[in-house]
Amino acid sequence: MKPIISASDTASRVVRIFFTIALLLVGGSAFAAPKVHQKPSDFIKSSLGAIPTTRAITLTSAQQRQVRAILGKNYKTKAIRYWTRNGKTAFILEETGKTEDITTGLVVKNGKIETVKVLVYRESHGWEVARTAFTNQFKGTSLKSNGQISKSPRNIAGATLSVRALTKLARLALFLDSRK
Amino acid sequence: MTQHSPKRRRHVARKWHRWLGLVAAVPILWVAISGIMLNHAERLGLNERMVTNGWILKHYNQLPEGEPQALVVGDRLITGWGNELFLDEEAIPLQGELVGAVAYKGQLLIATPDKIGVFDGADELLLELDDLSLPGTPVQALGVMDEKLHLKVADQIFVLSEDFFSAEKVAAQLDVIEPRKLLAEERDSLTKAIRTRRGMPLWRVITDAHSGRLFGWPGWVVTDLSAVSLIVLTLLGLRLFPKRKS
Repeated sequence: MKPIISASDTASRVVRIFFTIALLLVGGSAFAAPKVHQKPSDFIKSSLGAIPTTRAITLTSAQQRQVRAILGKNYKTKAIRYWTRNGKTAFILEETGKTEDITTGLVVKNGKIETVKVLVYRESHGWEVARTAFTNQFKGTSLKSNGQISKSPRNIAGATLSVRALTKLARLALFLDSRK
Repeated sequence: MTQHSPKRRRHVARKWHRWLGLVAAVPILWVAISGIMLNHAERLGLNERMVTNGWILKHYNQLPEGEPQALVVGDRLITGWGNELFLDEEAIPLQGELVGAVAYKGQLLIATPDKIGVFDGADELLLELDDLSLPGTPVQALGVMDEKLHLKVADQIFVLSEDFFSAEKVAAQLDVIEPRKLLAEERDSLTKAIRTRRGMPLWRVITDAHSGRLFGWPGWVVTDLSAVSLIVLTLLGLRLFPKRKS
């Protein structure tokens, strides 16, 4: 019985598939760039209505230990800035997600988180944490006596480290608010 | 549709097998050898060995680019290289172009156009000042006159308060010390220090060479093509497997 498809046809088909797969692979690259959701100064303005004079908490050795317990490391600066107006306190804090810092704006009022907003996201994955549907979960959370927040956010598959980073920052903001 | 004899079919398949095998031989061999090395990374000590080669470190963005600029404050050398800043030979957690540096009340202030970093006596970053705390940005210069910290922004001079959080505009001239080029021996010493501290583990370099990422997009395209070639070679090999009819 004669073959329906010749050898040269088979070889050509294999080669075509080869180049199609190659093209798909070449076209599949993606490059991530830092995404600025809001400038820190704009966040302070929109959250507090104006930019009040900067204040800072210079962490004592004991406070640095507590910060280490929250973050698992020292915060990048020994003094942490904050802005207060109308009973609200705003912080601009940074924490590493996987390899890059996530710049986050947090507003605390009466010991409870009022706003969490991702301002600059630099990681290539896990950007879902910047969505308000996620950050709104922090609204109303407070600090428990064991240093944890009263309500932990739901995890996002593929963004675990970013979720952890934001949770740490919420704890840090509440801690700093109680020490200012 | 043209039809060929079994002899012709085998000839075509063998021709493709031979030439594709020849083209893909080197990358396939590399993928196979590096794969074996990675499988035995611990035994071969790949985790401990560090690569300090200039090209490799540059590839991993571990070596800054461009002409380094320096300022001397007391006995401290502050260097701006690429987007990185160094205090003596240590990288500091502040990035940007070096525009000024001064010693002020036991602290060292280093300015970039967007930020001023305040370092304490232990070289730790005490505070970072940006447009939220400064009278404006970009910062053009930094200086100390009459024991007061002066800042030049938008061609205007401001005196900063002791806590750095408030500023007063003054009519004064600020003597600006421009950053100078790093001397050859200073540059060599800094480069050596960077290479020593930022060596890449050999396993990481081999892993990236194995996947092709070490050579950028052409590298991973070649690796992917090699993998696809291996599939095609297997299929063609299977086709050639049946014994030739005499």
